Amino acid sequence: MGWEERQVRGYPEFVRTAQSYHGRPIFALFCGDKDAEGRSWCPDCVTAEPVVRKELHNLPDESVFIYCLVGDRAYWKDPNNEFRRNLKLTGVPTLLKYGTPQKLVEEECFKSELVRMLFTED
Amino acid sequence: SIQAHKEEENPRKTMEVNGFMPVPDSYDYDLIVIGGGSGGLAAAKEAAKYEKKVMVLDFVMPTPQGSSWGLGGTCVNVGCIPKKLMHQAALLGQALQDSRKFGWQFTEEVKHNWMTMTESVQNYIGSLNWGYRVALRDKKVTYENAYGEFVGSHTIKATNKKGVEKLYTAETFIIATGERPRYLGIPGDKEYCISSDDLFSLPYCPGRTLVVGASYVALECAGFLAGLGLDVTVMVRSILLRGFDQDMANRIGEYMKEHGVNFIREFVPIKVERVEEGTPGILKVTAKSTTGDQIIEVEYNTVLLAIGRDPCTRKIGLDKVGVKINERTGKIPVNDEEQTNVPYIYAVGDILQDKLELTPVAIQAGRLLVQRLYAGTTTKCDYVNVPTTVFTPLEYGACGYSEETAVEKFGEENIEVYHSHFWPLEWTVPSRDNNKCYAKIICNTQDDERVIGFHVLGPNAGEVTQGFAAAIKCGLTKEQLDSTVGIHPVCAEV
Repeated sequence: MGWEERQVRGYPEFVRTAQSYHGRPIFALFCGDKDAEGRSWCPDCVTAEPVVRKELHNLPDESVFIYCLVGDRAYWKDPNNEFRRNLKLTGVPTLLKYGTPQKLVEEECFKSELVRMLFTED
Repeated sequence: SIQAHKEEENPRKTMEVNGFMPVPDSYDYDLIVIGGGSGGLAAAKEAAKYEKKVMVLDFVMPTPQGSSWGLGGTCVNVGCIPKKLMHQAALLGQALQDSRKFGWQFTEEVKHNWMTMTESVQNYIGSLNWGYRVALRDKKVTYENAYGEFVGSHTIKATNKKGVEKLYTAETFIIATGERPRYLGIPGDKEYCISSDDLFSLPYCPGRTLVVGASYVALECAGFLAGLGLDVTVMVRSILLRGFDQDMANRIGEYMKEHGVNFIREFVPIKVERVEEGTPGILKVTAKSTTGDQIIEVEYNTVLLAIGRDPCTRKIGLDKVGVKINERTGKIPVNDEEQTNVPYIYAVGDILQDKLELTPVAIQAGRLLVQRLYAGTTTKCDYVNVPTTVFTPLEYGACGYSEETAVEKFGEENIEVYHSHFWPLEWTVPSRDNNKCYAKIICNTQDDERVIGFHVLGPNAGEVTQGFAAAIKCGLTKEQLDSTVGIHPVCAEV
């Protein structure tokens, strides 16, 4: 079985989804909300998403890729939002391997070499 | 793809079999660094700045207990970083006790959870391991988690944990393989004892612990374990902190003794047996006096060996390329440009003979070496007046000569020692010791009373010492020190 993608919005939905896949490798990309035309308020997320998507075929078998919209700009800027508080996120975009200290933040997500390393190496 | 490349080079393989290794006309890499610790990574990252093709090989042989760790070397994984964090955990325990005197009210008794602390520490270390891998990949430095050893001129063999071997060649090599804890060589040592390599990731609380050794590793570990509330004993063969100022060493020992660490002096273990299995179990240690025939037997949950560290230089094929090592110690002698007797092979870090075993020294040496190699500079690493700190419960910071070494080098009549006890203001209210913190400077009277040794025993000793190290490097004299107005109220004003 290859890998699968789930798309979620907001912290509670993210946590529920991650927990439902307990036991499998979980990778998550956190981005700012998109408007009606599908553009995010976060310009770095707009740059990072295609780079990340291009590397998805490198995901290990059985893994899950969760694409998570965190909220609008005002929500994200609040220093107490749940993503900052509970997941210790410091910026968007963030690409991480759930349950490990391995993550890529902001411009690091633009680099396909680093994304590939996150997906394929221990 | 490297594998395929090698298979094409059949003529070389045949000659290898005959024992002759020709020098290839173009190497796979400009630089190969063996060892991904403080020195190795600093050198590799610096070399990448000059657009050199660099490879880092890092491999951790698991301990007898099975512990292993990621990229970053001793300091990050099983040294400075977890040590300081656990030292801090112990200090916070003390602070909690002090806080009651400052008005904080809490009725519950305060207890410590080893697993909570260890998980947090390991999590942080994990983020550092990852950070190094990102940094290397980002700078296009090739990193392989493989054991590197020389097999011939300009050539190393890298073996990964699955046993797959690959050959690589380079114009220049830097050996930065570091050291590992020494074992006693007595029955039961490898089977039942742990070392600092195991302690910081121990998946259970060590309990009643015997620390064997009197190194700073032994005293720092004993110190924080006791600070976390454990029953700790230190078994010392002769003196404490060999190589350090002995007056300061004894003060550290006295303080630890008065604050709950037991010492068994002038004994060495001769046997360790397991009395009961468990995590931890119960171990029985048999020890013999160094001054007589007395034998003692004591039981502990954990025995931590901290009797010294040995360089990882014996099994990396140095004989195949003719690099001379000190046969007794395993250390590598180098010139003042960190070059071994083989011109294209350099070495940095703890493995160097007669150099300080400290992370910042390895980093500085690695960086400057690479700058000399690729940026045309001539600056050499300055190993003089390097400040250090021992993070025992009462911290000790030092820079320059110990009192003994100063007397030996300059003569007692040419040395003046100025000293003082001090009582940190923060210790007054909670009624902590008023005569333990201590500072002294050693001056050379033949040279304008230049400060040639600085020693301080007290809280935040490291922070205090750093600034003085810079002043000493500038040639600080007693007069200049006297004319510097103190900051009040801080310990450093003494």
